[in-house]
Amino acid sequence: MAREVISTGNELSALGAFDAGCMFFGGYPITPSSEVMHEMSDLLPTVGGKFIQMEDEIAGISVALGASMAGTKSMTATSGPGISLKAEQIGLAFIAEVPLVIVNVMRGGPSTGLPTRVSQADIGQAQYPTHGDYASITLCAGSLEECYTQTVRGFNLAERYMTPVFVLLDETVGHMHGKAMLPDLEEVKASIVTRKRFDGKPEDYRPYDVPMNEAAVLNPMFEGYRFHFTGLHHGPTGFPTEDAAQCQFNIERLVGKINTVAAENDGLDDEADYEEFMMEDAEVCMIAYGSISRGAKEAVMKLRNDGIKAGLFRPIVLWPSPAKKLKEIGQKFDKIFVTELNMGQYLKEIERVMGRSDFGTLHKANGRPIAPLEMVAKVKEMF
Amino acid sequence: MRHTIRFTGVGGQGVLLAGEIMAAAKIKMGGHGLKTATYTSQVRGGATVVDITLDDNEIFYPYANEGEIDFMLSVANVSYQQFKNGVKPGGIIVVEPNLVHPTEEDRQKWIIVEIPIITIAKEEVGNVITQSVVALGITNEFTGVLEPETLKEVMLSKVPKKVHEVNNKAWDLGIKYAKEAKAKIGM
Repeated sequence: MAREVISTGNELSALGAFDAGCMFFGGYPITPSSEVMHEMSDLLPTVGGKFIQMEDEIAGISVALGASMAGTKSMTATSGPGISLKAEQIGLAFIAEVPLVIVNVMRGGPSTGLPTRVSQADIGQAQYPTHGDYASITLCAGSLEECYTQTVRGFNLAERYMTPVFVLLDETVGHMHGKAMLPDLEEVKASIVTRKRFDGKPEDYRPYDVPMNEAAVLNPMFEGYRFHFTGLHHGPTGFPTEDAAQCQFNIERLVGKINTVAAENDGLDDEADYEEFMMEDAEVCMIAYGSISRGAKEAVMKLRNDGIKAGLFRPIVLWPSPAKKLKEIGQKFDKIFVTELNMGQYLKEIERVMGRSDFGTLHKANGRPIAPLEMVAKVKEMF
Repeated sequence: MRHTIRFTGVGGQGVLLAGEIMAAAKIKMGGHGLKTATYTSQVRGGATVVDITLDDNEIFYPYANEGEIDFMLSVANVSYQQFKNGVKPGGIIVVEPNLVHPTEEDRQKWIIVEIPIITIAKEEVGNVITQSVVALGITNEFTGVLEPETLKEVMLSKVPKKVHEVNNKAWDLGIKYAKEAKAKIGM
């Protein structure tokens, strides 16, 4: 049975992690994400899970990575400045293929920026949070329900693709307090994905010896399967190598296991990568994600009241972008309107995919939400 | 039917919790309620605004649309001045007269009601922390949006048992003062 709860996005993200089987949280408090951490500190000890507040952001992700290396589903939560500090360890998670869920509740930046105010300016950071080549998985919650469901999904994708996964909330969604209908707990439990393991003889175990576009098979440590974790390029058993063919293969596989797989299968899993709101008969397509999509939905209804048939396309998986669908929209709609709480970070991706740049836009970067009427006025300028 | 209510104060006055209680009460009644808060990075003393949207249907945009707010309650001048323009012309604004100083222009644009919320909490209830509960009683008496019993029940569920009595007193006083204020302005 669906569960009605009254809560905030941050608390629901923690609950999603808990229900997904997360048994370790390491982190450091930072506005506006701290409540994720507070909630985990309440939840984890009730089932024998481990919670630890570390001395800083770097240590927070380091212990979370360590727990995941040991085979435990693990998470950390922070906001943009925390991701900046965690960047090096995020790189280690990418190359060593360690699953980890990283919740980023976005606030105004750069640097300390606007600590208590809303922003969507970490979209680019989520795509390329650290140096080197890799592909990121980034999910973006637009409702209280999705703070829960996308965090669950984040764990499933992390375990399936053996990679860090970003779950983006923003200050508005994270702190918003209201009703959410959560999916049935048994259904959630039935959907849980746990990383593959090798059951053969320990001497035959080669965790990174996997075909192109497939994820490494990392057994939990301390169970007799010996291998090496390193940030250096590595061969089949994880020990460092600089072999040219191996290094090229490593990076092609890291990128391909996410980008190629998503392109070939039309997404990384069976869940919705986007939402279409009143799109069927629309003559203008608005594109927005996260909390900004909520104002956009109201703008769609206000525009319709004024005789303009508007619709909303809302990406949920931001990276890899739902390119096939975006391309379709680019071909179908003459009038497209993009609104974000940054200076146009996702607009660039939309332009790239659609191969055009003649959009109506509304971008803000002052820590304030975008009101539906502001969007309505801008859309009307397109007619 | 949508109702939007705004509480403004400074950090530490408890306006955030009051907003959560109102949203939760509407949800308990079978509708939708959303609370959002905007505050500054100062821990105490910074302007805080809480928007509460109550509706029978799903609410998308979680903030009040500026100029559409039905009712505002303010216990700090800095946030009153900053956020008053969200209230629709003719809307009701309850202020703590010792701390909030509306202009003559304001008094023509809105129905300004003066209730010494903090003094009531401090001197009549005997605990300044209960000001948010006094405010809840006042707000519901003026707006009539929520079933008083449901609102009170949710309020009591959010505070420890040992302070139920004092919060009940704060609630009753809020309603009493609001009734008197309404009679004065012929509501």
